[in-house]
Amino acid sequence: MIKKIAIIAEHHRGQIMPVTYELLTLAQKIQDTGLPEICFFILGDDIETLAETISRDTGYAVHGVHVPGLSHYNGALYKKILPALFIEESFDYICAPHSTSGMDYAPALSIALGGSCITGVEDVIQKDGTTCFVRSMFGGKISARFAAKSTPVVLTLQPGALKAFSPDKKRKGLLKKSVRQIHDDKMIFTGTRPSPSEGSGLASAEVVVSGGRGIRESQNFKYIEMLAGLFPRSATGGSRPICDYKWITYGKQVGITGTTVSPKLYFACGISGAPQHIEGMKGAGFIVAINTDPDAPVFQIADVSIVEDLMEFIPLFVETFKKKRREEDERNDVGDPFLA
Amino acid sequence: MKILVCVKQVMESESPVRINDFGRWISLSSSIRFEMNPFDAYAVEEALQIKEKITGSIIHIITVGPDKSRDVLSRALGMGADEAIHILDNRMDYRPPSLTASWIAAYAEDKGYDLIFTGIMSVDEMNGQTGPMIGQLLSIPCCTATIRTQVYPGQNHILVEREIEGGARDIFDIRLPCVLTLQTGINSPRYPSLSMVLRARKKEIAVIPAGSFEKKNPGVALQALHYPEKKNKGIFLNGTIENKVDQLIDILAKKALLV
Repeated sequence: MIKKIAIIAEHHRGQIMPVTYELLTLAQKIQDTGLPEICFFILGDDIETLAETISRDTGYAVHGVHVPGLSHYNGALYKKILPALFIEESFDYICAPHSTSGMDYAPALSIALGGSCITGVEDVIQKDGTTCFVRSMFGGKISARFAAKSTPVVLTLQPGALKAFSPDKKRKGLLKKSVRQIHDDKMIFTGTRPSPSEGSGLASAEVVVSGGRGIRESQNFKYIEMLAGLFPRSATGGSRPICDYKWITYGKQVGITGTTVSPKLYFACGISGAPQHIEGMKGAGFIVAINTDPDAPVFQIADVSIVEDLMEFIPLFVETFKKKRREEDERNDVGDPFLA
Repeated sequence: MKILVCVKQVMESESPVRINDFGRWISLSSSIRFEMNPFDAYAVEEALQIKEKITGSIIHIITVGPDKSRDVLSRALGMGADEAIHILDNRMDYRPPSLTASWIAAYAEDKGYDLIFTGIMSVDEMNGQTGPMIGQLLSIPCCTATIRTQVYPGQNHILVEREIEGGARDIFDIRLPCVLTLQTGINSPRYPSLSMVLRARKKEIAVIPAGSFEKKNPGVALQALHYPEKKNKGIFLNGTIENKVDQLIDILAKKALLV
């Protein structure tokens, strides 16, 4: 059976976000055999060129929904427009990103359409004729499989969970355009405020040392600073929870809602590895993780995994390294080169 | 302001997470300790702070769960909430958020709440669906990932900042009533005070059996639970802590990452 799948494109400041193309992989996986019928939807004030780009990049149909005044994500407008679109043309599956906007509109959309909703999907498994959606629970300690029991099925895909699909396209997808003049005086967008991490230097550091709940109290952030002190052009950072506890400022947060970093070397110290954090640092060249819990999800993406208490490991590491460096300096020190 | 705060009981974050013998849900052995979903504590605190700003405000706390989940209601009352409602559902397996949301929405429908708060998600199931579904079921606006609120006495709107990717914030002016799901870090949740806890003990908690609500199709079915496949891309260091220190220095030196 050919499945009809809608993909809601994610765009921000005139850019199509990569998760849009990862959603195409999700759609391919939902269709076990043959090719699904796919249509992208993109909503916004200025989306014509973005719609073109998606149709050219993927070869699939794109419905550009021009909404005058919708220059910025507004949940109230999405929640009016999307149900209307999917009542006019019904789909078996509606795939959205597990982003701050997708998480905002997807559950409401499933209610409006009388369908089902599965959020934070990481993969699809076809088992005994049932399409199962894989998602994490309990901070990544459990992987659960869900089946949908009512349609349409509204899904949100964890960004970065699937590789972007690049079809062997020879053609441009069909482009459709419509205009929705819509207004909602119950929820009015009035502006934005910049991120507190802007200008923190985190993004440009070559080495980033980050701490998580494993530091146990704010004063123990000194261990993170101690380790960072070994490296020139380094910066210290932290996971979301320690910012929430006010142990460090939000400007130092590494993760989706903080800074995304890709240094040469990244230390995750006492960080369990929530998706929110991993997504913000997995682009690092080399990852060292230190955690007392051998099952911490962070170890799955680390190049070097160390099951130790950071408060013992870091001081010993720093001391040993400094000692080695001193010994080396002494060995190399052959006195005044002119007298040798 | 009349505020309804939705809270959930979850396993303490340090608790071991083991799949039960039937493979259908998590093993809830007697040694496991439970707490209020830490994300919901921010929702309770935000309501309390609004109550401090707008005199005459009242805060109701609601939860859905088995008998023991009553503890989170007591905790919220101990923090300073006024009344608590327990939708009693003694199922011991997965309850999809669509059911939780439909029951809370059915309860709240004719109660005249100005604000309905939830945490951004629960730490156990991580769905983030209950709040937005309640908003849709009640046909009122819902704003997720709220990181700041500003209320105005005597006015029927609220100014809300919601956090987006990268930590920037979008600002919305929202007409009441509305649902907000609160992002972590919006405030610092207080501890219950002794006097409040003593006062809370005398309070009656309203209990509504989940079976009294209209039956709904839950929409989704939990098929299986697994421990995540370990696909470590790197290596684990072995030996004593001193061995591990030496190995890490060697590895970083060879990669010219530590000189």
